[in-house]
Amino acid sequence: MSRIVVVTSGKGGVGKTTCSANLGMALARLGRKVVLLDADFGLRNLDLLLGLENRVVYTALEVIAGECRLEQALVRDKRQTNLALLAAPQTRNKNAVTSDQMRQLVESLSQLFDYVLVDCPAGIEQGFQNAVAGANEAVIISTPEMAAVRDADRVVGLLEANRVSKMGLIVNRIRPGMVRANDMMSVQDMLEILSIPLLGVIPEDEQVIVSTNRGEPLVLADRPSLAGVAFAHAAQRLEGKEVEYVDLDGGDESFFERLVRFLRGSRA
Amino acid sequence: MQSDSSVPTFLADSPVETLGPVPQVTLKSEQNRLLLVLPEAEAKPDDPAWAELLQQLEQRLKGGERFWRSEVPVYLCAGERLLDVRQLQDLAESLAHYRLRLRWVGTRRKPTALAAVNAGYSVEQLAPSENLNGAAKPDDSPHQAEPLYLQMTVRSGVEVRHPGTVVILGDLNPGGEVVADGDILVWGRLRGRAHAGASGNAHAVILSLQMAPALLRISECLARVPEEGFLGEYHPEVAYIAAEPGGGIHIAQAADFLRQELPRMERERTVARQNGSPTLAALWSALDRMDGRQPKTSGGQA
Repeated sequence: MSRIVVVTSGKGGVGKTTCSANLGMALARLGRKVVLLDADFGLRNLDLLLGLENRVVYTALEVIAGECRLEQALVRDKRQTNLALLAAPQTRNKNAVTSDQMRQLVESLSQLFDYVLVDCPAGIEQGFQNAVAGANEAVIISTPEMAAVRDADRVVGLLEANRVSKMGLIVNRIRPGMVRANDMMSVQDMLEILSIPLLGVIPEDEQVIVSTNRGEPLVLADRPSLAGVAFAHAAQRLEGKEVEYVDLDGGDESFFERLVRFLRGSRA
Repeated sequence: MQSDSSVPTFLADSPVETLGPVPQVTLKSEQNRLLLVLPEAEAKPDDPAWAELLQQLEQRLKGGERFWRSEVPVYLCAGERLLDVRQLQDLAESLAHYRLRLRWVGTRRKPTALAAVNAGYSVEQLAPSENLNGAAKPDDSPHQAEPLYLQMTVRSGVEVRHPGTVVILGDLNPGGEVVADGDILVWGRLRGRAHAGASGNAHAVILSLQMAPALLRISECLARVPEEGFLGEYHPEVAYIAAEPGGGIHIAQAADFLRQELPRMERERTVARQNGSPTLAALWSALDRMDGRQPKTSGGQA
């Protein structure tokens, strides 16, 4: 039984597409057959992040319209052959298809793959309804800001009403130094509001920009950055494995700060 | 200037009736059956309002799941609402997911009755009311409705309205709202908006295990949390409208409230009953409350 997981957040710009690309790639590296479905019709990005832009010939819309076979529209990743992409059309918008059509599309993808990861557009309108149609699980992405958490909370409520009961949270772009200084919400604060299980905590990382520009997900790097490792761990947790959380504190803390903390700790 | 009386078309065409409070789906236990009352508004199958109604029904069913025996037959009170076969199917399917069985449909509209017959439900066709939009509103009744008990997190974007007391076993999150004609009891964290005594009962109270609301309202009073936020220990607390001369919404620890404020409110009610009419002082305080000044909020502890 394959798993159909929608990656969603409500708010835009929190890293849905980045998380989709990295989770998909990480799951593929764990030996799972994964398809990434870009449900952001009219604003497609996932192909760029995966570096597959030039290989997209057909999109999900042509498959739904019956203008091509599903196999023709799937773009296999050459670096990781377990991974395939079904791109979104760039020329149409979210109202071009119905929820039922999306449900059928996702259903036929689930026959071919272990995981169908659906990259959901921002918002809670038709595009969201289409993306969640057919999904039985969800990964909620939120950054540690009140606005993102509130939108994520709204989305969790809507998913519950759509009977998507299995949900996990990925906290993206956290800055441990700021959390310590009480300038940023902590993961604990976010979990208190959202009350769904935690899948991963991704630290803020400049490498994300580099990887996006290159079309190479972080998890592919030879020596992945802290964020890359965190994504790989989140994928393992999605698989049901227990993985220790990486200590993010080293990341943005200066030597001096660490020394101060060490001295304080030893005195207490 | 040709015409100065022209109404801007965007105003004339805007669907005013869809604004205002979110229409509420109601579930009521009645002897051996469950009543499902739909709000009095029309929605077509592809209308987003219908999807929202289904979502709300889903939340209510989930929130009260523990209280219904399985296979309880359901009576659908459709009232003036037009429903087609597909909408009836949607409702039956939602109910069936919680092991409830749609059996009867009560309607004032012939097309709905026909659809229900076609779908195989027992139909009770009620006489069409004389005045289509003058149908008796439930809140016209002098008695409050039974308490509404929901086991759920009231998340952002969810609005729960009830013409009686509301009990939430779970959190009331930022962006969520509960409006009750009676009391509001949140057995969890209250971080959203709560309005108790919404139809004017100044003796209504709001109780919560952790009081950190975005906005509290009781009757016509309202209170915000202090700007600087609150960093301390939380205790179960009660928000109520304080005695004169201070007035406004106060917050007390639950234990103190039970010892001091509850007996005081009880005495006030007795006095009001004996006088048969509001006292002059009560009238003044009501005016005071309406003049829009910000009532002060006091935290439970310093």
